[in-house]
Amino acid sequence: MKLFDWILAQGGSSGGISHLPPGLRDMLEQPHAGAILRALVILGCGAVGVYLMLPRSGETDKRWPRFLGGVLATLALVFLVTTPIPAGESSIPGRGATLLWPLDDQSPATGYTFFILAFISLASAVMMITARNPVYSALWFALVLLGNSGLFLLQRADFLSAATVIVYAGAIVVTFLFVIMLAQPTGAAAFDRRSREPLLSTATGLILAAVLVGTLHYAARHEGAGVNTVGSHRPAQESIDRFAKTSKRLSLESDPHVAGLGKTLFVDHVVSVEVIGVLLLAAVVGAVLIAGHPVAHEKAGHHARQ
Amino acid sequence: MPGSETVLNNYLIVGALLFTLGLVGFLTRRNLIVMFLCAELMLQGVSLTLVAFGAYHGTWGGQVFAIFSLALAAAEAGIALALFVVIFKRGSSLDISIWQDLREADQPAIVDEPDVEAPPVEQQWPHLTVAGPLPRRTTEPKEARHDRPPAPVEIVSRRADALVNTLPSPPRGRGAGGEGGNS
Repeated sequence: MKLFDWILAQGGSSGGISHLPPGLRDMLEQPHAGAILRALVILGCGAVGVYLMLPRSGETDKRWPRFLGGVLATLALVFLVTTPIPAGESSIPGRGATLLWPLDDQSPATGYTFFILAFISLASAVMMITARNPVYSALWFALVLLGNSGLFLLQRADFLSAATVIVYAGAIVVTFLFVIMLAQPTGAAAFDRRSREPLLSTATGLILAAVLVGTLHYAARHEGAGVNTVGSHRPAQESIDRFAKTSKRLSLESDPHVAGLGKTLFVDHVVSVEVIGVLLLAAVVGAVLIAGHPVAHEKAGHHARQ
Repeated sequence: MPGSETVLNNYLIVGALLFTLGLVGFLTRRNLIVMFLCAELMLQGVSLTLVAFGAYHGTWGGQVFAIFSLALAAAEAGIALALFVVIFKRGSSLDISIWQDLREADQPAIVDEPDVEAPPVEQQWPHLTVAGPLPRRTTEPKEARHDRPPAPVEIVSRRADALVNTLPSPPRGRGAGGEGGNS
C-alpha cells in the first residue's frame, strides 16, 4: 500500500513530473492521475505476470519464471480488490473505493462471494492460457465456466447459470477433451512449449485492458454528477424504461425466473429461437459432413513437420 | 428500475479482463485447440457483460442474448472441432504455424521463435517400498530348463515359517502347518 501511496504522491506532486512535456504534465496534474497510475500499475503487474507465465522455448527445466509470474498475477488480482482507486472527489463516499469491490447496498456476503468467484474466474483464465498441456487448458476452462456460472447466479440469471454448467462445462469442454485425446494423446507437444510473440501479445492485452478499465472508470467518475455532464446521457435508458413500463414481462421481478425467461424467449424472441435452432441443426449436419469426409492416404502427412 | 452502477462496473471489469485474457491467449498460443478455447473465453467475458447489463436494467434481454451466444458457441464448437479433426488428419499436427504453407509465394515465412528441441520428459514412476522379505528361489537358472524336465518349483516363504512357529500346535496335524512343513 505504501508503494501505491508513493506512486500517488509522485503522480500528484508537480515536483517529480516537472521535466515532462506540458501536455502530459497537465494530464498528470489532474486529480485522477493517481487513480489512473494505480490502475496502470495493477494492470501492468498482471501483464508482467502473464508474460512470465507464458510458455517460452528452452525453459522447460526452469520453473521459477512461472512461479514468479503466478505470484505477480495473484498480486495484481489482490491489488484489484484492496487498492483504493478514487473515482473522483464528487463521488459518493464509499462508492467505487476500489476498482473491483462491490461496496454497495448489498450484503457483505454477496460482495465476498463476488470476489471469490471473480478470483476463481480470472485466475483460472490465466492458468488456462498459460498451461502447456491442452488437456489442462480445457480443465482450467471448465473452472472458468464454474466461476462464471456463479457470477451469473449472483446476477439473478439462474437458468443461464445452470445452462452454462450443463452445456458448456458438461458438453463443449468434454467434446474438446475428446478431440484433444483423439489428436494429441501424448500431452504437451513441442509447439505447446513455445509462444508466438509473447511480449507483443501481452502488451496488446495490457493496452486493451487499460482502455476498457479506463473507460469504465471514466464513466463511473461522471456518474451522478449532474444532468448536463458527459456520463449522464444514456440513449438506451429511455427506451428501456419505456419498454419496462409497457410490457410487464420484461421485468426481472415480474415472474418466477424460468417462467419469465421462457415468456421473453418464446414471445418476444421466438423468431430468433427458431433461427438459432436451424443454425444448430445446420452446424450438426455440417460437422458430420466435414468430419466424415475421408482424407486420401497419400495426402495425409503431407504437411507434417518431422 | 436500474440497479447499482458500482455492481455493474465490477462485473464489467471482470468481463473485460476475461476478454483480454482470451485475446492474449489467442494471439500467443500455437495449439489450434487452445486458440479455440481462448475464443470461447472471450465469449464468456462478453456473456458476463451482457448478463450484467441485463441485471442492471432489470430486463431479460441480457440473459436472452447470453443464451443465444451459448447456442452459437455450441454450434461453433461442433464445426470447429470437426475441422480440427480433418486438419489433424491432413497435417498430423495441431500446430497453427504449419498452415502458413498456404501463404502466397512471395510472402516470407513467419518464424516466431527458434525451434528448440525440448528434452524428453523422464517419466517418474512411483517407487514401491519392499513389503515383506523376498521369496527364496530354489530352482535352477533358466538356461538349464531345456535340458531336463523342469524340477518342481518350490518357493519357501520365511514369513509363512514364522507364522507357523508362532501358531499353537494344530489340533489335527494338518492345515497351516501342513502347507509350510514342506521345507
